[in-house]
Amino acid sequence: MKLGNPELRSKLASEYVLGTLKGAARRRFEDYLQRDAALRSDVAQWEAHLNPLTERLLPVTPHARVWKKIESRIDGSSAATNADKKSGGLWESLAFWRAFGLGACGLAAALVAAVFLAKPADQSPMLTAVLAEDNNVARVFIEQPKSGMLMVKMVKPWKTMNGMALQLWVVPKEGAPRSLGVINDTGETKLVLVGMDEKLSGGLVFAVSKEPPGGSPTGQPTGSVMCKGAIAHMPSKQPQPPI
Amino acid sequence: MANLSPAAPNVLNERLAALLAQAGLGNRAAFADLYEATKSKLFAVSLRIVRERHIAEEVLQDSFVNIWNNATKYAVAQSAPMTWMTAIVRNRSLDIVRRPFLEVQDEDDFFAVNMEDERPGPDDQLVARRDQVKIERCMKGLDGEQQQTISLAFFQGLSHSEVASHLGKPLGTVKTHIRRGLLKLKGCLES
Repeated sequence: MKLGNPELRSKLASEYVLGTLKGAARRRFEDYLQRDAALRSDVAQWEAHLNPLTERLLPVTPHARVWKKIESRIDGSSAATNADKKSGGLWESLAFWRAFGLGACGLAAALVAAVFLAKPADQSPMLTAVLAEDNNVARVFIEQPKSGMLMVKMVKPWKTMNGMALQLWVVPKEGAPRSLGVINDTGETKLVLVGMDEKLSGGLVFAVSKEPPGGSPTGQPTGSVMCKGAIAHMPSKQPQPPI
Repeated sequence: MANLSPAAPNVLNERLAALLAQAGLGNRAAFADLYEATKSKLFAVSLRIVRERHIAEEVLQDSFVNIWNNATKYAVAQSAPMTWMTAIVRNRSLDIVRRPFLEVQDEDDFFAVNMEDERPGPDDQLVARRDQVKIERCMKGLDGEQQQTISLAFFQGLSHSEVASHLGKPLGTVKTHIRRGLLKLKGCLES
């Protein structure tokens, strides 16, 4: 999906960089940006033009606590070795996800089995996952009832989100996490996406990150990982074992 | 902090690009240098949009965590390091900003006050200065209303309707000033 009209593209790119493109329109434009290299180049050009205006602002020294906090947030990913960073950081490190998968697989298997067995065979999902925190507290349950759709259930909501949003990602074997969209912080979210199945293909792990309202501004996870879980693909074509 | 040769004109850009590349390889010391070299400029950029120091601090935190995580991708961004980092900080600021009590500062005299003096910068800022001089020259070529509306939107992150309500002008008029101003800027910048 691309923005066709060149005049509109140029107008939106300039207003995105100027900052007057706001809210939902800004989000939509960022979706386009992810898929459209020419549009990214328009934006980069406007940034190169306009951003030097900020050179003349009087510098303001931030408090020393800012760096402390940045350091502590980076330390959260200190398991990432140089090798991990080279291949794109912790988010893309397969070893990291594998290590996690081993730890949480017992719990996930039990929950998945419970849900799976409770359903008639013809309604069995194509995939399921239980997303847990590092301390193994399960937070989110995900299943794919049919092609192109995911049902995301907040099993145990966080007490407060402080205005931040939760964004769901699928982490493939190789390459960067792919966004599946912002999810509700309580109850159920039905995600229907064009190209959902392509996004899910090769996916090993689902993860939920904390992002600014509306979702990640960069198209990649920026906030902390709230919970994550290995994806269990279901052999839906095979006959169900007797219960 | 690394010592710099003051002679080369593009040392600042090259140095920041090198620090970013090192940060991409997981070099924490280089990342700390990058932060030291840019924090005050970037903090000022955010503060102007979000107004409150504690929110600007959050923006700076988020932005640098983001820069650390995405430093490997800088190489393909093909923009000047400061342009790339400023875009990250501006985008985060625009996303996070909440304005229950909007007090807009006037930008009419932006090019007269609230700026560093106009003496030439040190040699290592020549490249950055060249881009800066160009955009400022083009901004000054706009008519007063175009310059004012574009400055309000860019520096303070105002929406069309916020600019309109601040200036007491119809929304359509403001949109036209911004639209025509941007087109004129584009013509000037690419000439």
